[in-house]
Amino acid sequence: MTQRLPFSGVRVLDSTYVFALPYTGALLADLGAEVIKIEGPGRMDVTRGGVWSGAFPENDPGEDWWNRSSTYNLLNRGKKSLTLDLSTPRGRALFAELVKVSDVVMENYTPRVMKGWGLDYPNLRRLRPDIIMVSNTGYGHGDGPYSHYPAQATTQEATHGHCAVTGYIGGPPSKAGQSFVDFLASWTALFAIAAALRLRQRTGQGQWIDIGMYQCGVMFLSEFLMDYIANGRVAGRLGNRHPSRAPQGVYPARGKDQWIVLSVGDDEQWRALCALMGRPTLASDPRFADSLSRLKNHAALDDIIAQWTSQHDRYDLMHRLQAVGIPAGPVLNARDLHLDPHYRARGFLEDVAYPPERGIGKRPLIGRPWKASGVPARIQGPAPRLGEHNAEVLLGLLGLPPEEVRGLEEAGIIAQAPRDAHLEPRPPAEEMVRMGILAEWDPLYRQRLGI
Amino acid sequence: MPTGPLEGVTILDLSQGIAGPFCARLLADYGADVVKVEPPGGDPLRRVGPFYGDDPHPEKSLFFLVMNLNKRGITLDLETALGRRLFLELVRWADVVVESFPPGYLSRLGLDYSLLSGINPRLVLTSITPFGQSGPYSGFAGEEIVFYAMGGIMAISGTSDREPLKHGGNQAQYEAGLLGAAATAVALLHADATGGGQHLDISITEVVASTMVVHQPYYAFSGGIHGRRPPKGTLLGNPMPCRDGWVILQTGGGATWEEIADFLGKPELRDLKFATQEGRRVHGEELDALLLEAVKDRGRWELFHGAAERRILFGIVQDAKDLAECPQLAARGFYREVEHPVIGPIRVPAVLCNMSLTPYTLRRPAPLLGQHNVEIYCGLLGYSRQDVVRMRQLGVI
Repeated sequence: MTQRLPFSGVRVLDSTYVFALPYTGALLADLGAEVIKIEGPGRMDVTRGGVWSGAFPENDPGEDWWNRSSTYNLLNRGKKSLTLDLSTPRGRALFAELVKVSDVVMENYTPRVMKGWGLDYPNLRRLRPDIIMVSNTGYGHGDGPYSHYPAQATTQEATHGHCAVTGYIGGPPSKAGQSFVDFLASWTALFAIAAALRLRQRTGQGQWIDIGMYQCGVMFLSEFLMDYIANGRVAGRLGNRHPSRAPQGVYPARGKDQWIVLSVGDDEQWRALCALMGRPTLASDPRFADSLSRLKNHAALDDIIAQWTSQHDRYDLMHRLQAVGIPAGPVLNARDLHLDPHYRARGFLEDVAYPPERGIGKRPLIGRPWKASGVPARIQGPAPRLGEHNAEVLLGLLGLPPEEVRGLEEAGIIAQAPRDAHLEPRPPAEEMVRMGILAEWDPLYRQRLGI
Repeated sequence: MPTGPLEGVTILDLSQGIAGPFCARLLADYGADVVKVEPPGGDPLRRVGPFYGDDPHPEKSLFFLVMNLNKRGITLDLETALGRRLFLELVRWADVVVESFPPGYLSRLGLDYSLLSGINPRLVLTSITPFGQSGPYSGFAGEEIVFYAMGGIMAISGTSDREPLKHGGNQAQYEAGLLGAAATAVALLHADATGGGQHLDISITEVVASTMVVHQPYYAFSGGIHGRRPPKGTLLGNPMPCRDGWVILQTGGGATWEEIADFLGKPELRDLKFATQEGRRVHGEELDALLLEAVKDRGRWELFHGAAERRILFGIVQDAKDLAECPQLAARGFYREVEHPVIGPIRVPAVLCNMSLTPYTLRRPAPLLGQHNVEIYCGLLGYSRQDVVRMRQLGVI
């Protein structure tokens, strides 16, 4: 069996920041692409130390904290790191040289930036006629009224319609727990890049993929849009309920902050639930005997179910409910994703071993959410240190003379440590729990993970 | 001009509901020739609203319509010997089969991947299921709320004084559909290079879990576990009421905190204690009060446009009406009109992303049940019209 991977031989310039396209780059690297992440010496990725950077190993930032944050390390595994100051003409000239020897260029600057640098698609195409360029912006390029508006997923979640339909019944519109729309853009990019490479193989032509995250988010609310377009209806928030299945909800299980969800779709499942709860007569109670009555009397039903679930372990409830065909499962947190037997059996997380000098050891990281038979995709290696591959890329790939590379370093166009970077101090883990930033700190995590 | 980057790709879509059909629709949107294969009773999504004019007619489900744009459609009962024979004939034609049956179902019919790939070695079989093809939960039943719960997202959605909260709508199933389309496109690229197909095993729950890119490694690096946000002191980054709706503000864009404070018009916000992320956290409740006061009498559009001019990351809560009327979506050509034989002309959300060489084309609406039976069974497989009538009478199509 060949060890060829789907993107073997494909070189990707990844001049992207934060979540969406960096994650695409990570998946491309898992699938065999050579991904060169490009950051400015004075503009490194915010996931290296900003709001979304996550945690440092054992909460210790260490000397080179910008190489050690958990979010950066997940989203940039298997890449090469090149620093290049694109705000300088020399930096841009080197970028142009790299475009000539690359297949895909990814960027997520606001629309005027690449254009201002002379690095927009018409220009890249002159450098390499079959280049595939991916631009990800909040609202998409073009002459739309919001095309130049800055955006990130947190605020876009409201604008693209997600918050309006998410929230407790009777409560305010609510965000989801994480940076939702970024992932939609990330997978859209993976989809479009694979499709564009396929077409390039057939026609020899590249193209420009223009992703507006806003569109991706709106697309995922299609049924709500259709109800308005056809029927003039604007849907309200349903909390944890379902428009037709009842009961459906999240119920307390035994223990602190332990929950089970369940969703009953028909009378048979309802009778099975009543039997499990030890209350078979409830099945014929006229308040709950048919689906429409259960929807109408949902609140009364919730109390009855919660009384039962709160006496039992969440996994025990899952097994008992699933055994009688009722969709159900525990609310899992980040720790549970590491320990749950199903995730473990499927190898959802992949261990990444760092060289000893990195001082990070071995960490499990999210792999890819699909399995492909006969394709040995996996995380190819750790995320690089900032500028780790400067020499390899500039000397090896571009063939610059060593003295020129030294000159670039002296001029600050490339670097191996960030310029003007500082890390806001963080409270210790116990303090973060007290402040409500974390729900829990588990001092035994290394033991549990075997790392 | 090609119909899309996937022009020439042939797909049988056996899937039902949301995730699988959305996957196949995206592949069709970007140029593939997709034939949806429904059981004679139809995809159950035909019975799910919203319906055009609130009329629960099987051809008027708008949810079915948007999940099945750009496809042709046939009916076929795989549980009959003749149905399986016809299916295997179609597999010779197809590059991809998309399916969402419970794991093991196709094997029980004698139609597992090894048999299909024996007939067509380049075949990509894309299976999208609640928990995947393997592992202790693979036979479990899934529902949207279960995907969020077991995917780790509910634990961090909602507020810490209340129960975990589900995302609105069917986000998990859409996510799995998009991921399925991406994985399929990757597999097609690979098949071009190697001549070999793949069985793609997509678990909807794992797709949701793979968005935990902050929270999973946070635990693996430090033992910290996130929960739901505290109900107080956390309004920054969450929706706040203004005069005519809701708005949301975050830091981290091109604007400094001082510029944000000036935009909001509250001098108290310039206090140094709010200048850092840590300070804003420590003084969160005080900050909440100032933010609420700052926006309560202002209009959402004025705030939205004004913030953008100042490079501030800012959003407004838009509902379906706002989105249907959005000038940005209009400028991007996001909605397209399609002529449906039963519904008539209707506007649908269409364009996921723009590709310069292969502009989006909406070629057809969703198929009526069995609409293309004659076209496929006679035109593609070479059966006679009389055979097709017999198949119908036998209940196979």
